[in-house]
Amino acid sequence: MSTAPSQSRREWLLSDRPQSRIQARLGRAYMTWLRFSSNRLAVLGLLIIIALVLIAIFADVLAPHDPVIGNLAGARLLPPGSPGYLLGTDDQGRDILSRLLHGSRLTLFVIVLVAIIAAPVGLLVGAVSGYVGGWVDAVLMRITDIFLAFPKLVLALAFVAALGPGIENAILAIAITSWPPYARIARAETLTVRNSDYIAAVRLMGASPFRIVLRHVMPMCMSSLIVRVTLDMAGIILTAAGLGFLGLGAQPPLPEWGAMIASGRRFILDQWWVATMPGIAILIVSLGFNLLGDGLRDALDPREAGQ
Amino acid sequence: MQMQIFSRHMRKLTTGAAIALALLAAHPAFAVTPADTLVEGFAIDDIITMDPGEAFELSTAEVTSNTYDLLVRLDLNDTSKIVGDLAESWTVSDDGLTYTFKLKQGLKFASGNPITAEDVAFSFERAVKLDKSPAFILTQFGLTGDNVTEKAKAADESTFVFTVDKPYAPSFVLNCLTATVASVVDKKLVLEHVAPVTPSDEYKYDNDFGNGWLKTGYAGSGAFKMREWRANEVVVLERNDNYHGEKAPLARVIYRHMKESSGQRLALEAGDIDVARNLEPGDLDAISKSAELATTAAPKGTVYYISLNQKNPNLAKPEVVEAFKYLVDYDAIGSTLIKGIGEIHQTFLPKGVLGELDEKPYTFDVAKAKELLAKAGLADGFTVTMDTRNTQPVTGIAESFQQTLGQAGVKLEIIPGDGKQTLTKYRARTHDMYIGQWGQDYFDPNSNSETFTINPDNSDEGKNKTLAWRNAWDVPKELSDMSKAALLEKDSAKRADMYKSLQKAVLEKGPFVIIFQQTEVAGYSAKLKGFKLGPSFDTNYVGTVSK
Repeated sequence: MSTAPSQSRREWLLSDRPQSRIQARLGRAYMTWLRFSSNRLAVLGLLIIIALVLIAIFADVLAPHDPVIGNLAGARLLPPGSPGYLLGTDDQGRDILSRLLHGSRLTLFVIVLVAIIAAPVGLLVGAVSGYVGGWVDAVLMRITDIFLAFPKLVLALAFVAALGPGIENAILAIAITSWPPYARIARAETLTVRNSDYIAAVRLMGASPFRIVLRHVMPMCMSSLIVRVTLDMAGIILTAAGLGFLGLGAQPPLPEWGAMIASGRRFILDQWWVATMPGIAILIVSLGFNLLGDGLRDALDPREAGQ
Repeated sequence: MQMQIFSRHMRKLTTGAAIALALLAAHPAFAVTPADTLVEGFAIDDIITMDPGEAFELSTAEVTSNTYDLLVRLDLNDTSKIVGDLAESWTVSDDGLTYTFKLKQGLKFASGNPITAEDVAFSFERAVKLDKSPAFILTQFGLTGDNVTEKAKAADESTFVFTVDKPYAPSFVLNCLTATVASVVDKKLVLEHVAPVTPSDEYKYDNDFGNGWLKTGYAGSGAFKMREWRANEVVVLERNDNYHGEKAPLARVIYRHMKESSGQRLALEAGDIDVARNLEPGDLDAISKSAELATTAAPKGTVYYISLNQKNPNLAKPEVVEAFKYLVDYDAIGSTLIKGIGEIHQTFLPKGVLGELDEKPYTFDVAKAKELLAKAGLADGFTVTMDTRNTQPVTGIAESFQQTLGQAGVKLEIIPGDGKQTLTKYRARTHDMYIGQWGQDYFDPNSNSETFTINPDNSDEGKNKTLAWRNAWDVPKELSDMSKAALLEKDSAKRADMYKSLQKAVLEKGPFVIIFQQTEVAGYSAKLKGFKLGPSFDTNYVGTVSK
């Protein structure tokens, strides 16, 4: 490293005269992190999400029982705290804790895939629409309006009903219904930068519209998009759980949290834990994503922080 | 201004107090059903019509059997026997073709009109001519719209003569006549309410035989009169003072539509209803522990089974069929998922029917199943799908079966759907496996025997769409022949033996894994006296209940 030995790492990062591009970038990231970490709740959210990821990775090691094979005859509907079953068992005699741990994989799977599908689509549509303008803008935005006109869950229900139940189709349906807000945000951001000097400069240098959108417009939309996607993740989890609850998401014996609540609903009067435990899991993870999203917005988007 | 504000506050206060009072009044502890009324919580959303000539639904069967009379009824003490209802006595001719019923004297409909053999003949005529879902129970005896007035006719005021086309077993004919489609309607009253119809190719008659009016109307003579039916809301029955049997102690019976088990349980505990009819095992368990409540149960003629479509090359192997019978955890399912609402049963005739066979040769045995699968050349297992209706207890059993199959290396994919989706696929024979129930159409062994063992044309165009056909099972000829012969066997004991050997054969070779027989349960207030469930859905009589 080319840092002067007299400087501490912190001073090097916070230097107002960066010596290199890398130093400048790292410095910016560090400032963002400082702003983020000063928000305790946001850090809590981050910890929850890190824990979720770790649990999903190590579910096989952590889970005390098999998540799909139960002991119907001997261990059905045991209350929490029963020996060997920390959170109790469900109506098939399966350990609820093990199912929750394995279910975290499905939850992450849904979130990641939806984010990977919906965010780029929204970004592309919004950036193109905002940059090109004219009838392209009109057509793309009216299509976006059509999707926005329907409640998200209802539209997702319709798609799943047409595609057939299953977790892959549920993901597809959620992705199809969640890109329009991203397109709107990306378009708004694009409109603010499309007439700025640096865009005019790259255009003068002969950059193609394709290159301008991809390299010079889209990066400007990223921060607000990331914030929005993170904040939406709680909603995605709830929609996935809602589809699972209605029997249109993950199919048995997959330990999807929403489906677990649905199967526990029948026992809510006498065996409350069957439906409650996955409900708590959904609550914690949604809360985690919301806190993280809030913190990210404050850190990435200082303009909105005070509002 | 001050005054106004004050009065506004006052108004809020008084409204608040009124609401609080109303809430207090509605407190469960004060809720009580009237002393002369029985209130039942019951899922009655299946009712389409109240016309006994058309209705073929479970809830309607109960209402019809309480509000209409039949020629003969099942003997509740021994359901393989028959007792007279409107009929005083009956004789069967030596050739087994003619049945002559003598009616009891001096009976009246609820309307006050006398009950005559004319009314019986008219009831048969309209059921056959309307040709709705339950009409086959009568038309299988050779009745058609053209000959019904000849084959089912009144010889005189009190003699009804019924002619069948083949010398059937008399027990079969009489059992079929206990079905609600043979209920006797008040001819005079119905004829006052017929609506004109333009004859067409499908329907050749110029009137609807009162079908439109009877949809919500009533023209019977049973222990109760049907006063009102509001779809998905309520059915109200009122005591019939002209009833020929013992008069009902209660003046009214109200069936309130309640869909959810937990809702029924809460209403029963609060005293809003006297009987809860659609309880799930958990709620039933809780009710049985309460001192003020009681439960009752009766086996019903419905069996739940998993069937293996023989079009699937893997499932067509006899070893696989046998292996699957060893891969259901009967004991665990019996003691948990269907506890109280069903009993493990492996033969196709439910308990209580003539010829029942109570044999359970199969137990959960993974080693044995693996051995059989290896013999079939499928030691490494295979993947197969099962269409499953998303209602309990079917889904629970499907999930349990998925786990136990997994232990033998067979991967089961559950394809969920609502009743219509799964049934449509099943009837089109495009499934691999199907889990569902089969309820008897009428209280006779032939109803199940026919569907499980007769398949005259195994092509996709087959007309006789029995369960054997739906699963593409080419039934061995000797089985079909025996099933047909049993229908004509006059000696009841011999007939029962034939059904027993048929059941043994299906138990061994048939592509049906029969799991349990349904038990109907009800939770009721301990204040009720004489509340009982019958052996079939049309023998749940409420005429004996008192408070």
